[in-house]
This record gives sequence, structure tokens and C-alpha cells, in this order.
Amino acid sequence: MKAVGARLPRYDGVEHVTGRTTFVDDVRVPGTLWVKALRSPVHRADVKGLDTSPAESMKGVHAVITWRDVPLLEYGHLSALGIPADEPLLAKDDLRYKGQPIALVAAEDEETAQAAVEAIVLDLDEQEPLLDIRRAFDADAPVIHQWGNWYPHFEAEMDRRQIRKGDVDWAFEHADTVVQGVYRPAAIEHVPLETQVCLVVPEANGRLTIYSCTQALYFSLGVVAAHLQVPLNKLKLVGGTVGGGFGGKVDTATETMCSLLALKSGRPVKWRWTREEEFLCSSTRAPWHMEIADAVTKDGWILGRKMLTLHDSGAYARFSPYGLTKHSFHHTGAYTIPNLSFDGYVVFTNRVPTTAMRGFGVTSVSFATETHMSRIAEVLGLDPYEIRLKNANRIGDTSPNGVVYTDPSTVPTIQAIADAMGRELPADHRTMSRQPREGSLLPEHLVAQLGNPEEH
Amino acid sequence: MNLTVNGVEHDVASAPLTSLLDVLREELGITSPKAGCEQGGCGACTVLVDGEARRSCLLPVGALDGAEVTTVEGLGTPERLSTVQLAFTHHYAAQCGFCTSGMLLAAHAYVEHGGSDDRAEITEALGGHVCRCTGYVKIIEAVAAAARGDSFDLETTAASPGMTNIGGVR
Amino acid sequence: MAKHTGRGFAAIEYPTGMNQNGDPSQAWIKVKPDGRVDVFAGTSDIGNGSKTIQSQIVAETIGVPYEWITYDNSNTDSSPVCTGTFASRATFVAGKAVEKAALEVRGRILDIAGKELEIDPGDLEIVDGEVVAKGAPQKKISVPDVAAAATWGHGELITGTGAQLKPYAAIVDPESGRVDLPPHSAISYAACAAEVEVDDETGEVRVTRLVQCYDVGKAINPTLVEGQIEGGAVQGLGLGVLESCYPFYPSVEHRGGEFGTYLAPGMEDLPSIETIIIENPSTDGPYGAKGIGEMANNSQPPAIAAAVFDAVGVWVTELPITPERVLRALEAREGGDGGPRRDGKKVVFDEELSVNAVSSGGVRFEVPA
Repeated sequence: MKAVGARLPRYDGVEHVTGRTTFVDDVRVPGTLWVKALRSPVHRADVKGLDTSPAESMKGVHAVITWRDVPLLEYGHLSALGIPADEPLLAKDDLRYKGQPIALVAAEDEETAQAAVEAIVLDLDEQEPLLDIRRAFDADAPVIHQWGNWYPHFEAEMDRRQIRKGDVDWAFEHADTVVQGVYRPAAIEHVPLETQVCLVVPEANGRLTIYSCTQALYFSLGVVAAHLQVPLNKLKLVGGTVGGGFGGKVDTATETMCSLLALKSGRPVKWRWTREEEFLCSSTRAPWHMEIADAVTKDGWILGRKMLTLHDSGAYARFSPYGLTKHSFHHTGAYTIPNLSFDGYVVFTNRVPTTAMRGFGVTSVSFATETHMSRIAEVLGLDPYEIRLKNANRIGDTSPNGVVYTDPSTVPTIQAIADAMGRELPADHRTMSRQPREGSLLPEHLVAQLGNPEEH
Repeated sequence: MNLTVNGVEHDVASAPLTSLLDVLREELGITSPKAGCEQGGCGACTVLVDGEARRSCLLPVGALDGAEVTTVEGLGTPERLSTVQLAFTHHYAAQCGFCTSGMLLAAHAYVEHGGSDDRAEITEALGGHVCRCTGYVKIIEAVAAAARGDSFDLETTAASPGMTNIGGVR
Repeated sequence: MAKHTGRGFAAIEYPTGMNQNGDPSQAWIKVKPDGRVDVFAGTSDIGNGSKTIQSQIVAETIGVPYEWITYDNSNTDSSPVCTGTFASRATFVAGKAVEKAALEVRGRILDIAGKELEIDPGDLEIVDGEVVAKGAPQKKISVPDVAAAATWGHGELITGTGAQLKPYAAIVDPESGRVDLPPHSAISYAACAAEVEVDDETGEVRVTRLVQCYDVGKAINPTLVEGQIEGGAVQGLGLGVLESCYPFYPSVEHRGGEFGTYLAPGMEDLPSIETIIIENPSTDGPYGAKGIGEMANNSQPPAIAAAVFDAVGVWVTELPITPERVLRALEAREGGDGGPRRDGKKVVFDEELSVNAVSSGGVRFEVPA
């Protein structure tokens, strides 16, 4: 092969090193207005009054938008996956996170736009926020979302993502040891070097050209079209060259609002988030709370796992039900555990809505299950490589929800690391492979979970 | 006031407290320095002022009357890339490219001032530049290669040290 | 007062493509009258290099030099649907779409070449921009000549389209989670060993070495694969020891609003990184590729947590593993308080973090037996 497998230079490599790569903020359109946002100053409040007239009448201000200007205020970005809409594009009756956008201003320059934002009169009745997902289910918890404090619209209107496999009671009864732990990875920021930015140009033929930093041109096209209630060809999304995304530029956080300002003012508008907005107001990776109890034998078989996951979705659902579902499908990590009971909840809190970030849903479960595995090895006095090799997925093993593994590489990756770290594995562990379980690697308790790789 | 940018003299119209970054990007239309944070924290706005790497987001243009500013456009062109630009291309030191302009100018100044290929010394000099994409490994490789005076083949890109490929395993 | 070294290890897996599928990517290709190839795809390049990878796939599949490819992903008027650059799908799913489009183009070129050479297209191949008869290399016609013949002789636009869509895998039984189809395009695998140095007086954890192994199926461009691995390693390090939006989570106070108060990893934090690439091909990815981008930051945090235990004997299971958390855990251990509670065959860690300790009964984690 000539091109595939070759260390060819980047397609846009020379543009990058000569400063010629055009990012959204580098596009210059004469007459572009600056955009600034009025954002919620508190974590939770009822909106008693919103008076934008001082901003609208300010010299240099060309348009102000609020929820009233949005043709379809709430649109579920993943409604095609059955996740209903819950989040207004601009806040209407209440505020649910500090930083939530309420009104936007397009003005001649940055200073005027900022002054106009500060002139808007906002009358709030502050409420007690809910911040700890572990308390969200309690009778005395404030109820902060129209659906209750956790997402209730999984299939069959279940209020949790559930995985059941085999007989978890049997596993715990037959365990020699039960190891329990709690794992809490944090919310982190995407920190792209390019902050959220959007430029919208109204065209003479009535179309809008939207210069977007989105990671997903067509996904964002669909979101904007839905909010504006227009057919897809009314909009042209221009982009495809992004200054870092990592999952934080799928939310379509700026495009619709800028489109509305462009329509209302008749002028091109640009909204570039400050780094402070990017750190404090942009959606984040989710904090997760995971509790694992593993039923293990003294020679290191994991007979069963019981797990509870609480996913901190922040103020709205966004992609959280999707992330939790992915998490649940992978909650055994790279290992074959035949008896399972998993319950996961998408929980709302009064913080910035959480979203996808590199590894979405699985980053958390990898942290929990792998740290737990290391702990099990330590508690049982077993080698951390050997215990993993023994339980590792093999061809024909099945996943938590019964999907057959056709090609798992866990064994060779573990062996390669052991080799690189100078760990001398016992001979039988050095010759282990991905091939289907047999002999001592197929104890009785793993027989029932086997599937047929040919069928998939 | 007067500013020479990439060898061209300009009569700057912006108010004296306007940042050099905004003068370059908005008044002069030179968009290679980026507004990564406008807090001096990331280095994406870095330009050379009289040969020294400076954060243009923190410099009021009024303090720079008569200065010579170099941006990445002044380092080299696609037809004649400078040493650091060649190094960054061959070593794949730019992924999204947003931090690259600032990183290149700081690297250029480092090499021009006799910086070595020692990783610790490079980290000391360039450590204030944030990159989120590359994990810095190939950036350091590129700067080290430039400091060493390596020659660069633009038809291929270099492997990172410490990488092995063991092919398929059973 | 000392620095202690420790080692830890983690092995992970990650699905490629959107979970449960249903995420289309499409591409279309046209050939210019001089044989140069224009690719239109909707995949955003967020730095991962998807423009490069997809161009390589097209060049390889048609059989023309990489330099002949022009790639346009710039707007939704000319590009067809790509669901987006996430879920590690840009190479696998979107790359498959361009491969399919390229195969159609290859077929058209061979057909027209066959007419020009009066040879059955099945006996022709394309190598480096030339259509050559298999086993009789003196019988050939250049791709530019084929394109010219198409344009001015046959009256044809040489084009190809491709669409990749794995059908949506529905959850057929929500109580068990079972699905009717495999809910992913492929699964990628990785493992990581971490070496750390922990200062027992300051609590600071310094990651000094990461040894990683990735099964990428097929490295379409090994340099770009390294870029993903290295970038991911540093993000994983950030997730493990440095970064937090909410330093006092669940409180929302004291958020860092700038570089310096939000601790994104810098060059100074870079450990030595060694990587081993395995290539067990996927059955249905382009040239056997699997995804690499997303999982690249998943294996480091647990490897680091295990290394910290190895170094100083405490488990910190809240991320990031800050100096404060390490010191509190060391203090608790000095006070005889840090270990798990043993209750019959149960070994119970982290009770103070559990829902059972914090909730007033709304949610409980009950363990059988």
C-alpha cells in the first residue's frame, strides 16, 4: 500500500505553520456586530421580570433577543434517539445554572454590547439550588426540573438505565470475598484553544451563512433549522476547521442565537466567548458517582457485579441519557462478568449542563472498574496482570447486555504492557490469547454467558 | 503612532490602550496571532516585538511606538518556510493549529537565541504555551530538531521516540 | 518526608461509532478532466487530522498519488451528511463512506480505461495514477488521459458516492438492556502502566512515566495515531491529577476562570511516554482501522490511582488526585482510619462517600449477602 499506512504530512499542515488556516474568528465581513450575553448570576431562581428596553434603546445597539424571539424555544437535540426536549434556548420562567443565557445583544462594538447587557433589568427570586446528586432523591430535596430530579424517559418510561444478566444473588452467595468501593471522577473542561465562536451573515436571498466552530456541521444545521422552523437549505453552515473540540463543540451553543440576531438586525453578527465564559459557562464533562460491589473468588474470578451509577447532568438533559446508556453497556470494562445488576440514573443539579467529552460515558466507567480491579488484586493478594488476564474478554464471551465479542484484544494489550514493564508473567499467562475460553479458563460459571461469534 | 509589522510600516489608528493583538487582528487584518484567552495565560497571541517573544494580548499598542513586530506571516511563506516551520511540519507538531502561531514564534526566538535541544531547557522556555491537542511531545521534538539544525523532509512526518509497532497478534 | 515511587496499571476497551449506531456519514467524489480528485465530505477536522486520513483512504482506494486529492469539508451546501466528529467515528465510519465513494470512482475509471484500451476492466488495475493491464504493463493509460477521455470523448462525469450507516440497535428489553443488533461499529482496546512519584509531605503526585499499548486495527497514518495517543495521554493525566471545574464538588464555589486557576496540563507536566501499537484489523473498518481518538484519555487515571496506592499505600478514588486528597488519606491512615471496613466476607472501601452515608434514604446501594 502506498498511502494507507504511510506517514504522510497533514493535509493542512503548511497552512497551520504559516498562520493561513482560517478559523471562524479569522473570517472578516464588513459591518459585523459584536454580541454579548446576559447570563444568570445565580445558580437557581424564578424570573419575576425581564426588561430589555434599556438595552434596545441604547445607541449602537441593533438587536436584542430573548426567549420571545425563538420560533421553537425547546428542541431536543437527540429527539431522534427518544430524548425529549427540556431546555429553552434562552431562559424563560426560571434560571437553573449560573451562566445560563437569558438575553443577547448585537451592537456596533464590544463595549456597547457589554454596556447594553448590563443595562438590562432582571428581577429574580432566588431559590435553593440542588448540587449533590446523592441527595437528589431525598424527600426534602428541592425539585429543580419539570421531570423531577432525575431523567424519567428511558425506554418504557423507566427512570433508570438498567442492566440485568444472570443471577447476581447466586454470585454474591458463592463469593469468597465481596469488594466494595466508590468512584467519583470530576467535571473537567474541554479547554479548546479556540473558544466558542460563531459568525452569522444574512444573505441577500434570505439565507443565512453560519460560520461555525461546530464538530458536527450537519448536526448543528439540524438544530438551528429546528429552532428557527426553517428547511435545511435556508441555512448554510460553513466550518469544518475547528481549533480543538474534544466533545465541547457539539452542543450548538451559539449558532441559533447568532442566527436570530442576524435576522433581527439585518447585519452580520459575531459572538466570540471570552476565555472566562469558556471556563465558567461552557458545558463540561460530567461528574459521576459510581458504587461497585464485586463478588470474587479467592483465586480471582469475578463472579458478579452490582453497580450503582449517578450521572450529574447539570441543569438539563442534553446528551446525558445517551452517555449513561453507553456507560451501562461497558460497565464490566474489558472483562467477562456473567452475573450483573446495574442501575444508572441521570440526575439534575443546578450547575452548567454537562455534555460529551472525549470518552463520553466510558471514561468514568474505565476509571471505576479499573481502579476497582487493582483494589481487588491487592485485597486478594493476587498479581494485577494475572487477575486481569484471567477475566479478560475472549472471542465468544458476551458483554453486559449480551453482545458477543468477536475480536477482543485485551489479552495481547495486557501482555504487551507486562513485557514493556519487565513483568515476568508465568508461562501459561504468557501464552494466553484472544481465542475462545476452554479448559481452566472456562469455569462452570462462565459457560452460560457464552455466545456465538458467528452470528454477529 | 508607528508600528512595523513583518517589515511593513503602519500608521496605527487604534486608541493607545488597544492591545497589540486587537491592532494586528482587527485593524491590520493579520489574523495569525489568536485570541486564546486575552488574559496572558495561553501564549496563542504571542508575537515577536523587537525579536523577543511577547504576549500581544497584554501589550497596549501605545507603549510600542516604533517597534518591529514579527508574526508568523513574517517568519516564512509556503514556498520558503523558516527552520521552525519546517520542523513543525515534519514533526507533526500542529494538530488543530490554533496554538501554533504563538508556539512557532516562541520557538523561533528560542532557537535564534541559541537554545539547545535539551528537553528541560525547551520546557523552561516554552512551558507557558498551552496546547490541548498534541500533548506537547511532538512540539518538543520539533523545537529540539530545529535547535540541532536537522534537515527536514516535507514528504513524510517523523515518528515519536518511544513508539513501536508490533503488528497483529494472535 | 520523602518521595515515593509507585507503579499502577489499567486495561480498557472503547466502542467506535455512536452507541447504538444510526449515525450516517456520506461522501461524494468527482474527477477533474486532468485526473485530479475532488472529495466532498461533511466531517469536521477538529485537529484529529480527518482531512488527512480520508484523503489517504481515497488515494489508496483509487490508486492515485495523495497529492492529487483535494478535500472539501467546508460547508453544508456542497458536502453531504456526516453526523459529526465524535465517538471515534471520523476514521471508521466517515472513512468508510469515502472509501465506498472512492471504490465507485475506481470502477468508473477502470470501465472507461477498458474501453480505451479494449481490455476487460477486470484485467486492469490502477497504480500510482496509471491504469495498467495486469501482467502486461506495457498496455496502460494514465488516469489523466482516462479523465480527459471521459470528459471529451464519452461525455461522462466520473463520480462516486458512498454512505456508511450501521442500523440503529434498539434496546428490545429495557429491564435487561439487551439490544437487537451489535450497538457499535467496532471495539478498540488499550492498556496503560503509570509510574508516579508521590511526595508524602506535600501530597503532590508527579506522573513520571506512561507506558501505553493501543490496538488501532490499522494505523492509516501512524504519525496521526501517535498524535492522538500523546494528546490523549496528557488529557488523561489532567483528568487524573490536575483538573476540576468544581474544586470543592459538589459545591460550585471557587471555579477557576482562567489558565492558572484552572489547571490544564502544561509542558512541565509531561511524563516520558512510550507506546506500543498493535494492529489486529477490524472486520469492517476502512483497511481494518478501528477508532483511537476518544479512548486515548481513559486508561491513565486508573493507572495513576493504582500507582499512588503502590507508592504511599492510600487509595484516592475521587478525581483529581490532588495533594490535599493524598494528604488527608495519609492522615487518615496514620490515625488508623484509612482502610476498608471488614464485615464477614465484605471488604468495604469509601463508606463516607457512599449514597448510604449522604442520602437520607432516597437512594441506597444495597449489596446482596
